[in-house]
Amino acid sequence: MGFVLLGVPVVAVILFFLLKKKKSQHLISVVTSLLIILIAGMLTRDVIEFGTIEYIKFGDFIYIDALSIIILDLVAIISFMTSVYSVGYLEEEIKEGKLDCRRLKIYYMLMFSFIFTMLLAVIVKNIGVMWVAIEATTLASAFLVGFYNGKDAIEAAWKYIIICSVGIGIALLGITFLQFSSIGVIESSQFLDWTALYQNAGALKGSTLRLGFIFILIGFGTKVGLAPMHTWLPDAHSQAPSPISTLMSGVLLNGAMYGIIRILAIVNHHFENSYFTGGILISIGILSMVTAGFSIFSQKEYKRLLAYSSIEHMGIIAIALGIFTPLSIFGGVLHMINHSLTKSMLFLSTGNILQKYKTKNIIDVKSLLKVLPVTGIVFLLGLFAIAGTPPFSVFSSEVLVITSIFKENHFVIGIVIIFLLAIIFTGIVIRMFKIFYGDVIPEKISVGELNIPGVSMLVLLLVIITLTGFYIPQGLKSLIDQAVGIIIGG
Amino acid sequence: MANYLDALSVLILISSFVLMANKRIKSYIKTFRIQSIMIAFLTGIMGINSLLEKGNYDILVVCMVVIGIKVIYIPRLLNKTYKSVEYKVEKDFFMNIPILIMMCCFIVAFTYFSLSTTQEINTGYLNSRVVNSVSVILIGLLFMISRKKAIGQIIGFLVIENGIFVTALFAVNGMPFVVDIGILMDILVGVIIMGIMVFRIDEKFGTTDINQFNDLRGK
Repeated sequence: MGFVLLGVPVVAVILFFLLKKKKSQHLISVVTSLLIILIAGMLTRDVIEFGTIEYIKFGDFIYIDALSIIILDLVAIISFMTSVYSVGYLEEEIKEGKLDCRRLKIYYMLMFSFIFTMLLAVIVKNIGVMWVAIEATTLASAFLVGFYNGKDAIEAAWKYIIICSVGIGIALLGITFLQFSSIGVIESSQFLDWTALYQNAGALKGSTLRLGFIFILIGFGTKVGLAPMHTWLPDAHSQAPSPISTLMSGVLLNGAMYGIIRILAIVNHHFENSYFTGGILISIGILSMVTAGFSIFSQKEYKRLLAYSSIEHMGIIAIALGIFTPLSIFGGVLHMINHSLTKSMLFLSTGNILQKYKTKNIIDVKSLLKVLPVTGIVFLLGLFAIAGTPPFSVFSSEVLVITSIFKENHFVIGIVIIFLLAIIFTGIVIRMFKIFYGDVIPEKISVGELNIPGVSMLVLLLVIITLTGFYIPQGLKSLIDQAVGIIIGG
Repeated sequence: MANYLDALSVLILISSFVLMANKRIKSYIKTFRIQSIMIAFLTGIMGINSLLEKGNYDILVVCMVVIGIKVIYIPRLLNKTYKSVEYKVEKDFFMNIPILIMMCCFIVAFTYFSLSTTQEINTGYLNSRVVNSVSVILIGLLFMISRKKAIGQIIGFLVIENGIFVTALFAVNGMPFVVDIGILMDILVGVIIMGIMVFRIDEKFGTTDINQFNDLRGK
């Protein structure tokens, strides 16, 4: 099944290349993502049943456990939503003359190579291959960031590819040190293998491992968007087409975070405590929250503001990983899920707003609730959700993380985080709520939704994040519990 | 054989100093090619050695790929890009060269002292080859921030990758085969994409000077 999962997007890319008609391209995109979601569902069932999935007969290349299946499902779900949304979005772009059929083809080819690389990154067993896949996500999405070919888009794409490639390069140096620390402990055929490294963590060489962790955190942290390596993120998220921003914020950041979590588990298993990693992760997380909190107040574009909010949430996840108790890890993993669903909803809504008002500036968007009734309501509730208001799911996971901090008696950290969350809430309200004001419908703007399939996805996402705020399904809960066991051990 | 490896590691370090002293984009590309040739030699020597000792030819295959990608294809691609975007010779660095060279010397000293406190790399004697190759990485980073042309940044990125590749060879005898080939493929695709972007930048901005990139700053 694992190989089929990887094969599906590859076949899709080839079909996009061969087929010419617009309609068939849309059809393939939706069918492919539906297939991915089905296969992911089957894999999830297997993981719940057997714990791990390995194919030892086929080169021992794939390794899926509860932690990777959570991220994998996120990739599958958000890819599906995005590809359904893209149909309406791209049709509108074609109507406006921003796209033609040739560029539509390129868009879909790149989008599915992007999805392929993300799927590859989370299911491989070898850290080195995972590195290759994560670097490939940058390469596949670089042209998507610069898709509109304007000055700003090119600038953002160049910044994105240079900063991320160099950052990821530093992670490769860290992986070299990781391998160095395992020489003499692991036999050469198992070099850089998650499971082997984790099982023999106690015998690894401590100081090189520490060196390796720092480099890997900086490297993958660049891709996650942790401050101070975050500078590419707001530019890339604001310049990319909205469905691509969704994929980046909802999936790519989690994929890179997954890399950090795997290494973190090995390092903490070696030292048998989290003093070393905890200090670094908590300080880098708080720095990200501070950066995001103060930048949000000065944002003039709504997509950039949401990008800064992604940095903030990645900071929260980093803090949860730094605390490293079962409760905080549970909260962190749950927060990953909640953040990516909520943020996807918001970024997809910005696509509708952008197509209606044809501007990215907050100040030029007025009386949204009148012009786009459904998108407007979803966007309003989504902003409340992302700022951490009950009853939405982001609130519940934030509460879990903060509770775990206080339980560990880190009162100062807990108070600082609550304070920062309050600042960010204020920032979002002050900057963003202007767009809902007003009864007068601006001239030249027609009332009504443009992208009907896209809007249905928005509503579906809103229902999901509201329900999971009250109730976490038993299957999901046991999966997260398993993932916590994998990270903490025992 | 150890003598050859020591000599090559020092030569690779010196080539990155030379790169730092280059003024023209054409000479960057030339220096990069020379550095890649030395890396290919290094990989070849290690490959033959492992073939004789263990009978595995993985590293030799990697050596062939290095020659194909880093020595032949990428410099040619960069030269082509350079010819089609550059109109006139412009000064391409912020600080003057003696200061940059001094900073490179400090980087080497810094790497020496910081790695000498890491116990395992420093078992009995300090692994000076690793010191040299880590210095190459840091010099590559300095090169990237000291040059303002887009092609200069691509070269800086490639030098960083060269440094990491050499570090992996010296410290761990090369990464697993699949990973090594994957890394080289990523670099190849990455440089092709960056090359295309340089064209686009030139088209839109009329120059490849990345100091012109300030539309998104302060937003």
